[in-house]
Amino acid sequence: MDERQVIEAREVWKIFGERAEEALRAVRQDGLHKAEVLERFGAVVAVRDVDFAVEKGEIFCIMGLSGSGKSTLVRHINRLIQPTHGQILVNGQDMGALSAEELRALRASRIGMVFQNMALLPHRTVRDNIAFALELRNTDPFTCHQSANGLLETVGLAGYGDAMPSELSGGMQQRVGLARALAADPDILLMDEPFSALDPLIRRGLQDEFLVLSRTMDKTTVFITHDLDEAMRLGSRIGIMRDGEMVQIGTPEDIILHPKDGYVADFVQGLSRLKLVFAHRIMERPEIYDKSHGNLADADTWPQAHPKADLNSLVSLIVGQQCPIAIRDNGKLAGIVTKDALLKGIQG
Amino acid sequence: MKVHAPGGQDGGQATAPPDNSDSLASFKEFAGPRGDRYGRTFLRIQQAKLPGYHLNTSALIGGFLWAALRGNWPLFWIGFAADMVAAVNMALVHKYDLAAVQAAADGKDFLVQRYDGWSDAHLQAALILFFAGRLLLGWLADRLYYHHYTRWRINRSLPSGQTIKRLGVGMLAVLLVAPLTIYRASQFAPDQRSCIKLAHMIQDGEQVPLKDRFDCWTISEFPTLVWLQRPPQYSFPRNDDGTRSIVVKEPSSQRPVNLNNWLSEHIDQGIGYMKAFYGWLFDGVTRWIRVLLNAVEAVFVGTPWIVTSLMLVMAAVKLAGSRMGVFTAAVLIYMMLFGFWQTAMSTISLTVAATVICVVAGLPLGIWVAKSKVGAAVVTPALDIMQTIPSFVYLLPAVAFFSVGKPPGILATVIFAMPPMVRLTALGIQHVPASTKEAALAFGASPRQLLLKVELPLALPSIMAGVNQVVMLSLSMVVIAAIIGAGGMGFIVVDALARTQVGRGILAGIGIALIAMMIDRVVQKANRM
Ligand SMILES: Nc1ncnc2c1ncn2[C@@H]1O[C@H](COP(=O)(O)OP(=O)(O)OP(=O)(O)O)[C@@H](O)[C@H]1O
Ligand SMILES: [Mg+2]
Repeated sequence: MDERQVIEAREVWKIFGERAEEALRAVRQDGLHKAEVLERFGAVVAVRDVDFAVEKGEIFCIMGLSGSGKSTLVRHINRLIQPTHGQILVNGQDMGALSAEELRALRASRIGMVFQNMALLPHRTVRDNIAFALELRNTDPFTCHQSANGLLETVGLAGYGDAMPSELSGGMQQRVGLARALAADPDILLMDEPFSALDPLIRRGLQDEFLVLSRTMDKTTVFITHDLDEAMRLGSRIGIMRDGEMVQIGTPEDIILHPKDGYVADFVQGLSRLKLVFAHRIMERPEIYDKSHGNLADADTWPQAHPKADLNSLVSLIVGQQCPIAIRDNGKLAGIVTKDALLKGIQG
Repeated sequence: MKVHAPGGQDGGQATAPPDNSDSLASFKEFAGPRGDRYGRTFLRIQQAKLPGYHLNTSALIGGFLWAALRGNWPLFWIGFAADMVAAVNMALVHKYDLAAVQAAADGKDFLVQRYDGWSDAHLQAALILFFAGRLLLGWLADRLYYHHYTRWRINRSLPSGQTIKRLGVGMLAVLLVAPLTIYRASQFAPDQRSCIKLAHMIQDGEQVPLKDRFDCWTISEFPTLVWLQRPPQYSFPRNDDGTRSIVVKEPSSQRPVNLNNWLSEHIDQGIGYMKAFYGWLFDGVTRWIRVLLNAVEAVFVGTPWIVTSLMLVMAAVKLAGSRMGVFTAAVLIYMMLFGFWQTAMSTISLTVAATVICVVAGLPLGIWVAKSKVGAAVVTPALDIMQTIPSFVYLLPAVAFFSVGKPPGILATVIFAMPPMVRLTALGIQHVPASTKEAALAFGASPRQLLLKVELPLALPSIMAGVNQVVMLSLSMVVIAAIIGAGGMGFIVVDALARTQVGRGILAGIGIALIAMMIDRVVQKANRM
């Protein structure tokens, strides 16, 4: 097994309903659709034969329409839900094989979770909510208090420690949920639409902060979102779900450039490519360029860029110039980007 | 619903009469014979134009027979009941007329007068009931029949039209009910005792008039069968070494008994057996309750009144604010002025002790009910039974096993007052949102932590409502338990009742009401704060 794989899902199925087992057999044999299963067995296929792996330090974004099974899938990772079939491995450990005690220990210390509906404890103050995970591990009250205050500061709610959750706005509650998930300093974070109720400004700030946090502290994150821009900004890789199935998994660029089917293409349609497509995707090899233009010798006088430069920066370089851009990797000429190629690249 | 006339113009002249042919056809299909007449009436009902005095003469004259013919059974029963009661009254007139003649023959003038009076009263009642019943039926007939029609439109299997078969069914019902009922009213029914005597006479082979037999079997108490062998008599005398032995004696009489006597004798013997061989259990329970009660009474009764009253007022202020403090002080002063202090404190002690037991036992039971299917399956039916049995009845088993005094009183109170504690605790826990519990589990809460840190705190309002109810129920039951010697304010009322000292009883009753108000208000306010 790959050492760096922190979370791995193997053939995970989840069917809700009394006759789940029966329905599972029928679905696997005859490949029934979600609607057919509901009609015949009164059971809901929420997750359908999903395989994926998340590596250490990655932010794995899951996207999909409402009801496509995203929340159900992440709940399998800390085993709030038992799969009908399949396995979930966390750090190589089969979650299904853990005893109740081991599972509790794992949840308390290694996996933090932010819920779509916040699910704060209404009878506890904001500070006590944040310190909840610590308290469950019998941490002393002083430490609880201190670390909760620190986290309140991080999420921009300093001074709200003694408020009750019901006194906060939806967005503030989401931030409390985030702080609560971070309190026990877990190395795996499961985040179910954690920023959905925030205004764009705070959202962007928290996204940036979250990126820094997960990089510096090497956290592994599964992040559910409806917001494509957010997925593109944060996601190391993105998984797209439809009716319980994982339709496609890939880097943001991958998904934009090679959508697997119409559903995925619809999903990523209208997204600005400027920051997601890079020079190496659209450049011509120097030999080929030379054959058609024959002025490669002047390459040193042209604007220079790195293969990882995005289209946005290439546009700034080429504006007002007559010549193309030379792409160099460690000083070596790797390719040429002409104006035409750039325009084509933006168009997609 | 809007009915569009075929070919009619929308938004046309408002004066055009609406086309009712659809409705009329449907009415006629439903009514069958005399469809025109019912069609017209139903149309007027539909348009809310039926005059208030409208009567259906067929129903007025035909009575319940009309309803049977039309298959409208509710009207049939209304009409039949009215006529039946009128007939019973006529039978009573006959009965008292005969009785008056008999009394006159016996020379008992005062009886003659009384019977004549009754006879007249029943005659008036019979006439009024008969005519009023018919009028009512005639008035209701078309209105209910229209209702019947609307239901028939939804469900075509309902009776419609008019058939002779239904008339037969109606007559059959009348034949089954009417003759015996009227006969019963016209006779002086034998009482149960004389019927038992009669049964014995028959067993001994004596001649009994047929009418007496018939009366005993049909118009007296439901004839219980006397067919069970009387059970032998058990006693459990104590031996010299303290153990008990079982002695069986033949039953005192060989006559068979009915089910009631047979089973109650068995129950008595069962209780005797339990007391003889498991007496230690009941004694133990009694002792523990007494220990608890002594501890509570030490606070309320054993402490000088100055200290107790100050303590109570201060507690009220602290728990429920200064206004409740003033009210509490007023209640306590009433108790002192009328010399109820000790008794009132004794009642409060009983209430507190019962409440403590209810809470201590009810909370875990409630948690069990909420958490386990088995718990719910076992406890819920038991609670249902406990709540349907009248409070009075609890006193019986308490006395049977624990004899009289305060401990059995508290025990009966606990059984009476505990159900809301269990129910509301379970309800509170079950209503904790699943998402909140899930969040706690996701952060690694153990079942114990989930219960203590999430479920119980969130269920607390419901639990406190349960405590409030327990306190109030305990107080009411503690008063009733005075009948079995629990003492307190209830005893004064019971005693006053027995000696018809109305004044004393009323003063004590007001005292009880004041205590109830005081406790209720304080507990409620304290819950809200
Ligand atoms: N406890 C449950 N019992 C039965 N069906 C469920 C349960 N939880 C989820 N489902 C069903 O599973 C499917 C997937 O639900 P899920 O909550 O995972 O969707 P989602 O992708 O998170 O949607 P959203 O974006 O709206 O949050 C839905 O059809 C839902 O009805
Ligand atoms: Mg969801």
